[in-house]
Amino acid sequence: MIVDIKGQNGGLVIIFGPGDIDQYINALKEKFESNPLLFKDFPVTFRGSSLKSLAPEELASLQRLCLDYGMTLAIPSSPKSTKVPTVSKNLIVRKTLRSGQKIIHEGSVIIVGDVHESAEVVAEKDVFVLGRLEGTVHAGCMGDLTSIVAAFRLHPRQVRIGDKISRPPSNSLPNDLPEMAYVEDDHICVKELLSPRTGSKRS
Amino acid sequence: MKKPSHECQVVVITSGKGGVGKTTTVANVSMGLANLGYKVVALDLDIGLKKLDLIMGLENRVIYDIVQVLEGECTIKQAVVKDRRNPNLYMLPAAQTRNKEDVTEEQIKKLIAELRKEFDFVLLDSPAGIEQGFRNAIAAADWAVVVTNPEISAVRDADRIIGMLESAQFNNIKLIVNRIRPEMVKDGDMLSIEDLLNHLCIDLIGIVPEDTRVVISTNTGEPIILSQNSLAGKAFSNIARRFTKEEVPFMNLEHNDSFWEKLKNMGRSVFSSKQVG
Repeated sequence: MIVDIKGQNGGLVIIFGPGDIDQYINALKEKFESNPLLFKDFPVTFRGSSLKSLAPEELASLQRLCLDYGMTLAIPSSPKSTKVPTVSKNLIVRKTLRSGQKIIHEGSVIIVGDVHESAEVVAEKDVFVLGRLEGTVHAGCMGDLTSIVAAFRLHPRQVRIGDKISRPPSNSLPNDLPEMAYVEDDHICVKELLSPRTGSKRS
Repeated sequence: MKKPSHECQVVVITSGKGGVGKTTTVANVSMGLANLGYKVVALDLDIGLKKLDLIMGLENRVIYDIVQVLEGECTIKQAVVKDRRNPNLYMLPAAQTRNKEDVTEEQIKKLIAELRKEFDFVLLDSPAGIEQGFRNAIAAADWAVVVTNPEISAVRDADRIIGMLESAQFNNIKLIVNRIRPEMVKDGDMLSIEDLLNHLCIDLIGIVPEDTRVVISTNTGEPIILSQNSLAGKAFSNIARRFTKEEVPFMNLEHNDSFWEKLKNMGRSVFSSKQVG
């Protein structure tokens, strides 16, 4: 969906999906035209990571469009909103990564799904997989050895943290428990995620 | 040509890896759909490496090919080859002397828009690989079937292809597991259907058991679906019925001994134990 409009805390939130400025303007116009009274007088907030790719004047034209249809612009730091206005460096991927798919991100990556064999995740910080991790991961790709890799099922082909590389030993049966990999004494270690005291060295 | 009776479905049959049975699937499922009374055309998009005409046994009837249609040298009507067994079934052959790069996605889209007006089903036989030929094959399809074999190399390629289909906004992708050998699965020597589904996470539309008669049917150009008493043929006809949204239960391959066969085996064991005794 190019744009989605939702009601929230007595105002409107417009969420921008992937698209360009012309698509946004057309989609908004279509929605506003369909029922002009529905939107009138409401404070509007813009959301969506696609907004970052817009030029300031393009953003302004979207705001002007809302004003033209009788809406007001919500003040971002209103006392109602309790969200910390920092730019999140986490990337949340809500899908399974299949063979040949690769994610590179300057921050931590959270994958809500599986990472299949021959898929790759490269992150500047941590990698969390809420699913099975069978592919290749590189956490702390810029050298941050405090980065970790955690997964509901940690069965990767290869784990890298910083400049360390580890492969699971070929004769070991994969553990069916949530686990995490981290660097200790220059080696990548793996331990169960839920019981922090048990640790076992892997390489 | 008469008007189709249903809304046309354009289905691409693809796999990533070669030799898993895409063309065999296209030949058999299109024959199966034609036998159900649908008007079907099968397109061979493996330009430069055509096979579908051979497997359907129509190589002698080929006059024009798909590239000539796309380049306006002949009409679609002139190029489609009518099947000699079923008047509902047509085939559009690939060009053997051309390359996949000679065809664009736009051209395929235009051609398929034309075919939609005339047919109930358009089946696209995709080439192996993930390059231009594959992109051409998926450009105009409504949904996709991924064919795989129960071996890790085919499964990895299938996974890659499913990922690419998902990126191309396909939301209906079905899996065919071809050449499964239930006795090997039972002994733990072959990946099971559960293993495959567990890994690939898509819906199954067919399980085709290994059948040596498929080789013969390929050589003679008589799709296996036409031969009686073939489990593979039965599996393909079930797949064709599932294409039409009919709910068909999956064959139970593990207990395919009929009552009479069981009885015969029992008789044999009684007989041999008597002899030993």
